[in-house]
Formats: sequence, C-alpha cells, structure tokens
Amino acid sequence: MLVVEGLTCRFGTKAAVDNASFSIPPGSFVGVIGRSGAGKSTMLRMINRLAQPTSGRILFEGEDVTALRGRELRQWRARSAMIFQQFNLVGRLDVLTNVLMGRLAEIPAWRSLAQLWPEQDRALAMSALEQFDIASLAAQRADQLSGGQQQRVAIARALVQQPDIILADEPIASLDPRNTRVVMDALLRINKHFGITVLCNLHSLDLARTYCDRLIGMAAGRVVFDDVPAMLTDHIARELYDLEANDVMGGAPVHVPANVDVPALGTAAAA
Amino acid sequence: MTKRSMLETDGLRARYPDVFNRPVSSRLAWPSMLAGALAIFVFGLIHLGFSPIRMLNGIHQLGWISLMMLPPNPGASLPLYLRALGETLSIALLGTTLAAVFAFPVSLLAAKNIVPSNFFRFPIRRFLDTIRGVDTLIWALVWINVVGLGPFAGVLAIALSDFGALGKLFSEAIEGADRKQVEGIRASGGNALHEIRFGLMPQVFPVIAGQMLYFFESNTRSATIIGIVGAGGIGLQLAEQIRVLEWQKVSFLILMILIAVAMIDWISGKLRFAIIGPRAVA
Ligand SMILES: Nc1ncnc2c1ncn2[C@@H]1O[C@H](COP(=O)(O)OP(=O)(O)O)[C@@H](O)[C@H]1O
Ligand SMILES: [Mg+2]
Repeated sequence: MLVVEGLTCRFGTKAAVDNASFSIPPGSFVGVIGRSGAGKSTMLRMINRLAQPTSGRILFEGEDVTALRGRELRQWRARSAMIFQQFNLVGRLDVLTNVLMGRLAEIPAWRSLAQLWPEQDRALAMSALEQFDIASLAAQRADQLSGGQQQRVAIARALVQQPDIILADEPIASLDPRNTRVVMDALLRINKHFGITVLCNLHSLDLARTYCDRLIGMAAGRVVFDDVPAMLTDHIARELYDLEANDVMGGAPVHVPANVDVPALGTAAAA
Repeated sequence: MTKRSMLETDGLRARYPDVFNRPVSSRLAWPSMLAGALAIFVFGLIHLGFSPIRMLNGIHQLGWISLMMLPPNPGASLPLYLRALGETLSIALLGTTLAAVFAFPVSLLAAKNIVPSNFFRFPIRRFLDTIRGVDTLIWALVWINVVGLGPFAGVLAIALSDFGALGKLFSEAIEGADRKQVEGIRASGGNALHEIRFGLMPQVFPVIAGQMLYFFESNTRSATIIGIVGAGGIGLQLAEQIRVLEWQKVSFLILMILIAVAMIDWISGKLRFAIIGPRAVA
C-alpha cells in the first residue's frame, strides 16, 4: 500500500504539488492525468525521492520513505522503479549494462564498479530483455536503438529492480502510435503478470481510460479527481483541462490530446 | 510572402521601435572596434621596431643558413638523436598522463553539476586558472631549479601546466553531460560513485580522451622547447647544434621532430575516431 499524505513541493513560492493525498493498494494500475505543468512529474519524482518534498509524507507498507537516507534510500529507489519520457538510458553503454543498472542497489559496490556482474544478475537482465523481444539487442549501444526499443530497455531495467511499484512519467510521450501500444501493453503485462503496482502519468485521456483501473486528476498541483475511469465524464475531463487553461493561459482553448488508436485489450495484454 | 510595397512600414515601425531605430552607439560599435584594433596594431609595429629593411637583410641570412642545412645529416649521432627523440616523446606522454590523472578528480570538484555550491567550487576553479596561467616553459625553469636539469623536470613542468588546463576542460565536459542519463542511474538506486562511473564517465570519456590526445600532440612540441632550456630530450640536442652552427645536424633534428609530430597527429586522429566511434563523427 502506497500512502501519500499532504504531499507538497514548492519551487520558490510556486507549489508544483499542493497538499496531495491518496492511497494506492498493491496491484493497481493508476493513471495520473492533467495538463502539462499540473505537477504530475513532480509528484512521481517525489515518490522516487528524485525531488524533495517540502512537506507531507510518503508511506509504503507503513514505512515513512520520505525520511530514508543513504543505503535505505537507494533501496527504496530500486523498489519504486522510475520510467521516464526520455528513457534516461546511458547512450554510450550497451543495452545489457543499461539493464544491469537496475541491480546497482543489490550488488556490492566494488563488483558493480568493476563491472563484475554476478551470473544470476546477467541472467535476470537477459530474461527481462527476452520478455520484451529485445534480447538480440543486448550488445548494442543504447543510443543506436529506436525510441520504442529504448523505452523497452528502460522497462527491462525497471523490471530487474524487482520493484513493488513502477512510476512511469509520460512513458509514451516521445513515441509513435505503434510503439505507444507496445510500451503501454508492456506496462500492463508487468502489472497483471507480476502484480506490480503501476503509477503512470499520461497526457492522453483515451490511453488513461483504456489502460488504467483508476485515475487521479491533477490541476495546478492539487488532486481534483480520484476515481475509476468510468466516473471521468467528458464534463469533468473538460474542466480538468480547461480550468487550468483559463488560469494559466488566459482562456486560450486547450485541446484534449488527439486520439491515439488503441485497439481493445485482450491478446496483447494477456500474453 | 507579402509584397514589399504592401507592407505598412509605419505601423511596424511604431510597434517595434527597437528594431527600426537602432541607437547610434550600436551602429558605430563595429567600425569603432575595427579602428581601435588597427590603431593598436600600428602602435605595436612602431613600438617593437618593425623594420622591413632589417627583415630583408635577415632573409639574406636565412637563405644562407638554409643552404648550409642541405643535405640534412646526423653525422655519427643518429643513435643519440633517436634516444633524445624517445626521451622527448616520453616526457610528453608521461606529463600528459600525470596531468590527466590528477586533473580528473579535481575537475569533478570544479563542475557545477557535481558541486553545486559556488563557495566550494570557486576556489578550485581559481586554483586551476592560476596554474594554467603560468606557461609550461616557466614551470620548466622552476622545476629545473628544484629537481635539477633533465627529463624529470620536463615531465613535472608539462604535468603541472596541463593539470590546470585539463582540469578546466574536463570540468566543462562534465558540466556539458546529459543530466537525464545520470538521473536514470540515481533513480535505479545507484550511489554517487555509480552516477559518476556509469552516468557520467561514458559521456565524458570520449571528450577527455580526445583532449588528452590533442594535448599529447601539442606537448611533443612543448617538450622540445623546454628541452632547449635544459629539461632534456631532443630540444637539448637542437639547442646544442645551433650553438655550434652544425646546420646539417640542425636540419636533420628538425626533420625528425616534424616526422614525429606528423606521425603522432596521424595516430591520434585514428585513435580519436576509434574512441568516439563512427556515430559521433557523422
Ligand atoms: N526543478 C524545478 N524548478 C522549478 N520549477 C519546477 C521544477 N520542476 C517543476 N517545476 C514547476 O512545477 C510545475 C509542475 O511541473 P511538472 O511536475 O513537471 O508538471 P507536469 O509533469 O504535470 O507537466 C510547473 O509549473 C513547473 O514549471
Ligand atoms: Mg511532466
């Protein structure tokens, strides 16, 4: 169970996330939606502790992870795996090494720094790559891969962290429609197959409705919607996006992102 | 495109006055800078006693020397010269390597993305700048007095002056590294060393290696020069033969240096390409 209590993050006087509270039971696939600038990324980054909360707490299975430091902090980061819009792979390292980065919190530092990866960890990394059909790319440099392939490598890295929760920050915003589907399906599969909680920032409402079993809507740093997708009526959705548009952009209309053609789930998700 | 005649110039002029009414000062900036540079140049010529007559006489002399240089001939000293050249190359290589080894950790401390605090970073930057500000030749004169004549002084001179220069260049390479890649390591649970080893090093290594190769090339020339003031190597031989007016040996030595530098150029070009990889070159 992930519990967020009154979480706030200020940059100067501006609150990027403002008193957010929610709790997420294990195994859920939760979408965080809202306009650009609503505070979605900051929220996820605080949970992984890449961003420092100004106030509020994050509890995981009753433990306050906002207070962790040093080795315990790094182990929490491994347990709350992050997936980024820009993949954040190391371009000049090969794919296998990039995936092995997900083992850093577990392996003794002298071994990882000398790149003496234990056999078992290599095997774990290769099997993760195999699951996303990119085992054959293991020896390639990450920056020579397509965007869709890079994001799958990033998901493999997240998976070998053996996380309890995956935090995906707009994982498909840099991808074309076909790869969007591949990556979202991969996340869904991890969620259903391994029971790993997924918390996923999404720009597209259609994707959010298709994949998530719960949506958290954010506007101007505050949580303004938290329910199953069916409850997100067009009216609320428009409010969610327009409310802030009026605030920030002086009334200029903001379009809900264009439809991405995502066929109904089934084969791919169950595979 | 809008036709020129149809543009309502007055309206645009009213809306963007800055674009149309550039202040006189900004219009005169370039011509006045040019005039200033020219004045300084002319002053320099006069002040340093530049005289075409002296140059013509000199060219006459230069012609003589050039004639006496032909053909280049080492006499019986070839083994000695080869050993001296080897010594010069060793001075350059050791000096550059030592400089890089010490510069890298310091450059981390001088990089804004590693040490965000100005308070700690500033003194390190100034320290590097100060060392860099003193030329290799001067360091050589200093070290010759400290450790005596010979190649050791040469190595120390190159190591010290390039420590300052490489430290600065490395820290700039580190600051230019992509933050996202480092963040990927941190988010996965890596510690600070992991971030440097896996997030930063792969990005900055090709830059650093390229800079080291370039410095090695240029240090082959520096090592020759500091050899002249007594830091060993082929420069010492060159100075000696110029002093005793053995022009054929001088020309042979110069030829040796030229060939060595050209070869290093060629090899380091290949190496740099191999390190950086075909992708970055394209
Ligand atoms: N490191 C930062 N420094 C200053 N302001 C920031 C920083 N990160 C985010 N912000 C601000 O916080 C707000 C929320 O940003 P973000 O969490 O990235 O929103 P979203 O991911 O929903 O687009 C934005 O107004 C953004 O400008
Ligand atoms: Mg964002």
